[in-house]
Amino acid sequence: MSPEALEVELERLHPAAFGWALACCGGDRAAAEDTLQASYLKALDGRARFDGRATFRTSFFSVVRRTAAEQRRRRALWRWLPMASVTATPDDGPDPAVALTRSEGTRRLLAALVRLPRRQREVLYLVFYQDLSIAEAADVAGISLGTARTHYERGKAALKKQLDGDRE
Amino acid sequence: MIESKEDELRERFTALRREDAAGLPPFSKTVAAARGRRAAPGRGRLLVLATAAALVVAALVFVFRGHDRPHMTIDLAAVRLHAPTDFLLKLPGADLLRTVPRLGRVGLDRRTL
Repeated sequence: MSPEALEVELERLHPAAFGWALACCGGDRAAAEDTLQASYLKALDGRARFDGRATFRTSFFSVVRRTAAEQRRRRALWRWLPMASVTATPDDGPDPAVALTRSEGTRRLLAALVRLPRRQREVLYLVFYQDLSIAEAADVAGISLGTARTHYERGKAALKKQLDGDRE
Repeated sequence: MIESKEDELRERFTALRREDAAGLPPFSKTVAAARGRRAAPGRGRLLVLATAAALVVAALVFVFRGHDRPHMTIDLAAVRLHAPTDFLLKLPGADLLRTVPRLGRVGLDRRTL
């Protein structure tokens, strides 16, 4: 893929990629922007290869997921460095200002999603938010189709239970 | 029933996607920021460099100040340990126990008899 074509593809995917980066960063907008920038840099520098085995969308989402995980690990490591307090950032999590602009239904959905295990949350995001199939979600999450199906069913049941519990 | 539940979840996620899109940063700005990262060293790299420099300085100070300090040699053979309870062993007439009496000089002086 030529650099120009790559940039056109990235621009087309930008809203969905930002949503996915937000999901990978637990709703932290600053961390999501940081993750997206690092992912774009990997793609533009050719460090992330798109070999055509999967669609560009699932390949790039995989890059975003891995980059978010790297940044999470890096942040955890910084906390142990002696000078980390000099450049300390607030704790990860949704921005309070953004949380205030959310509707009641969305706020309840996010609160229920946070309580799910990471894998279940990722698969549900990919299927319901990004409209991917379970097979594509498995590709992005780097797990087998059977495992993705299990996470999907368990996650869906747990999410429904939590949302119904909130309603009562 | 199951279908309606799934539709409800889908609707909730659609609302979430709509709200996320409201705060979407422009693509051009994100790409420009990404390219800027390539040129400028990251915050993490600066932090690691600063920590490494601080460790090197601390190591140098430790090494050089260690050489300047005067050494005090201790002769272990000359050291005597005094325990705090040593006074309990001091008995009246203890020096009699440490010396050997000279039997040859002991005798009666006839002039005083």
